[in-house]
Amino acid sequence: MQHMRILILAVSALAASAVAACTGDSSSPPPPETLTPASCPGINLGARPAPLSISTPTPTVLHVFGNGPDTLRYTAEIAVRGTTAYTTTWNVRRVQGNKVNIWDVSGNVPLLVDSLILSGAITTDDVALSDDGKLLVVATEPAPGSIGIFDLADPRHPVLLTRFTNDQTMPGIHTVKLGRVNGKLYGFLSVDPVGDVKARLVIVDLSTPSAPKQVFVKIAGSPYVHDTFPRDGLLFVALWNDGMDIWDIGGCGTGATPENPRQIGNVKTLGGEVHNIWWYHDPAGSKRFAFVGEEGSGSIGSSSRGDIHVVDVSDPTAPKEVAFYNVPGAGTHNFSVDESDGVLYAAYYNGGVRALDIRGDLASCSASQKKTDPATNLSRCDLRLMGREIGVGLTDVGRSVYVWGVQYVNGTVYASDMLNGIWKLGAAK
Amino acid sequence: MVQAIPVVTRADPTATRSALSEGYLSQPVVMAHASYGALRAVGTLDLEGLTLDRGELSTGGYGEGYVDRRHPHAYVHELLVGGQAARGGFDGSIFVGRGFAPFGSDDPMMRPFEKFPVNHHLAQVLERVVAVAALRRGPIVGEFATFDGDEPLMPSSSPNLRRFGDSWAARLTALPATGIEVSASIARVASPEVRVGQGLDQHKASGVARFSRETESSWRYALLEYARTVEYDKAESINTLSSMLGEAAYCRAGVIVAARVERTDRPEEEQLLDPFRTPRPANDLSNLGVSRWTILTGSVSAPRGHMGFVSGRPFVEVARLAVGAGTPAGIFNPELRYGASHMWMLSAGVRLRAGAAHTRMGRYGSADADMSMHGAGAEAGAGTVSPKPESDRMPEMPGMSREQTHSGGMSGHSRNSRCSI
Repeated sequence: MQHMRILILAVSALAASAVAACTGDSSSPPPPETLTPASCPGINLGARPAPLSISTPTPTVLHVFGNGPDTLRYTAEIAVRGTTAYTTTWNVRRVQGNKVNIWDVSGNVPLLVDSLILSGAITTDDVALSDDGKLLVVATEPAPGSIGIFDLADPRHPVLLTRFTNDQTMPGIHTVKLGRVNGKLYGFLSVDPVGDVKARLVIVDLSTPSAPKQVFVKIAGSPYVHDTFPRDGLLFVALWNDGMDIWDIGGCGTGATPENPRQIGNVKTLGGEVHNIWWYHDPAGSKRFAFVGEEGSGSIGSSSRGDIHVVDVSDPTAPKEVAFYNVPGAGTHNFSVDESDGVLYAAYYNGGVRALDIRGDLASCSASQKKTDPATNLSRCDLRLMGREIGVGLTDVGRSVYVWGVQYVNGTVYASDMLNGIWKLGAAK
Repeated sequence: MVQAIPVVTRADPTATRSALSEGYLSQPVVMAHASYGALRAVGTLDLEGLTLDRGELSTGGYGEGYVDRRHPHAYVHELLVGGQAARGGFDGSIFVGRGFAPFGSDDPMMRPFEKFPVNHHLAQVLERVVAVAALRRGPIVGEFATFDGDEPLMPSSSPNLRRFGDSWAARLTALPATGIEVSASIARVASPEVRVGQGLDQHKASGVARFSRETESSWRYALLEYARTVEYDKAESINTLSSMLGEAAYCRAGVIVAARVERTDRPEEEQLLDPFRTPRPANDLSNLGVSRWTILTGSVSAPRGHMGFVSGRPFVEVARLAVGAGTPAGIFNPELRYGASHMWMLSAGVRLRAGAAHTRMGRYGSADADMSMHGAGAEAGAGTVSPKPESDRMPEMPGMSREQTHSGGMSGHSRNSRCSI
């Protein structure tokens, strides 16, 4: 029986080689490879992508289609679905950031069509859309902290279903992310610390949106937990100086759930200050890399610092940093990825928007494209030296920008700029 | 000694973008000190947590979750015990407890103005669990301390003892002549604004020249100060906050006229729904930029009147404030914050006191001219103290001029005179 199995595999491999040779297409994808880590057998991390050599290009300047201004409030995060964009607002400019702006982005210039006011908020920090487009969820600061859950039956005119708040959302919810696990929608809330009370991660069952149910709370982060990234039953947690955690919340098939998560692994990226994460799934099925945003200190409107760190999660129990991207004089904030073309768009505060080609094996680079951190002796590929910076946006608009968030949708990039509102840009590819 | 200052302040405009008038009992403190042989104890109970929970209106002021209001201080402002001894021309002391790190200038509470300067958090490090050693020989005093970097969260909060030893300060003081004191100090303060640690660290430096001299009928006082705080995110310097301050006072026949000019950088933070409050800790390590404050303050106070064992010194204080963008400017805009870039503050009140006040605050044992022992300090005949005490006019000190009495530091830790503030 064993001999028969080997024979079948050998014949299959030979046949696959013959087909590839006959077509003469050397770039056709290799046969699917599986990597199911023992720590998480329910997840197939796919094949390690092939190294990709790119001649260093001059980054494209992302074309600016138009700007929808907001000069009464500072703009914060952005979420876009179809031709409707939602931008939140932050702290106090002329008035407080208790508003969510709703934009028609079907034309070149975003047009404000409606807005939501969340009473008691000074910042509507984060905004998330459910994968079915039925719900809009907004996080608020300061105390008591809440999420506002809105029905999107009419996307241009959301209707409030409920505000969820309790003693665990004090003193404010910094971010909310939505994820579906085994068909059920959950909200993942990153809660600020206050005084002696440490930061927390709160998970809320949103299967009945009008009646959210808290199902999990854990003290997390040092000193902050700023964001999460749920996907395929894994939860990536940004724990500031405690690095990035990977939790099984049902994807590994080992019994963990959002109600009873299991930590699989952790990595402390260089510099810490882990703020946000994107777990990238490339079109060939590889899921080996996660992108981590470092939010260093800065002066809003003037300066920022913090790199993008690339983490190889092939072994989720021992993720390791393999590459990075740095913009001198600026720091990164939130990401959005065009996964079909392999382009990561990063908000870069005073550095505008940056587009990175993230195809291929980002852990593989030449010696001249590597840099070694003298303090830790960690050697990492430098995406800039690898020619992966392929687009730059909003650095040529004739005024200061401070870009908080980006979202890629169908060939268009939308950026939320604290100082200037919403921008509509062309994509890098 | 017990002190309290009923005060009314009008700020026009302030963080509400309008004029605001308020009154409260400021600086209600009880000070005590004791000694037994070589042992010393110093304590200051500050009851501002009961009277100033919302903070004292003080446009430009900031710190500990307050902005444009001065925060109430910890109930246990100072509580230290120590030992002090003199041998072979040296006067040495060690104090342990909650109090001041040896950095910068005196607590503003012991200076001629009711309103604190904006630079309070650049120029003093206080209310920490501190172990401070001082050694004095002749006109030179050296101090070193280790302490916890975390600032108090609120008046009732205790220091984070797990962080004791994560910060240090050192100060060198020269007392070149009677009434003159020059000091330089540095400090490394770990994460003062994030109690659990891992916030921005501060590298601080200060230079202070102080003059205080009193005659039978007058008191002359001046202070020049430069303070700088560089904030670090791990090993990278992020912000530099500087302050220059000069103040002077003259007292004659019990009337004190004082003036202060200050130019200080203030880091701008997110605000809460109450425009006078900021999140503690902040939600990340960024700020909103730096503002630069230029403030001219004038004060006049009438002679102290007495009613039984309580005395009162009425005063008025007026300040003209100008604020603009510092470096980096960030998004700070005075027009957005205040509706104006120039402001006024007017305060009137009465300094009530029973008992003799501590003349200095922020120095212990051998570093405090008042507490220094017979040897080194007295021989030097140098150093400065605040206005002369009535209690110094004691017949058991014949032949010594009052100035000598002060300078020698043998007169005790508390004073009360016509020119005392």
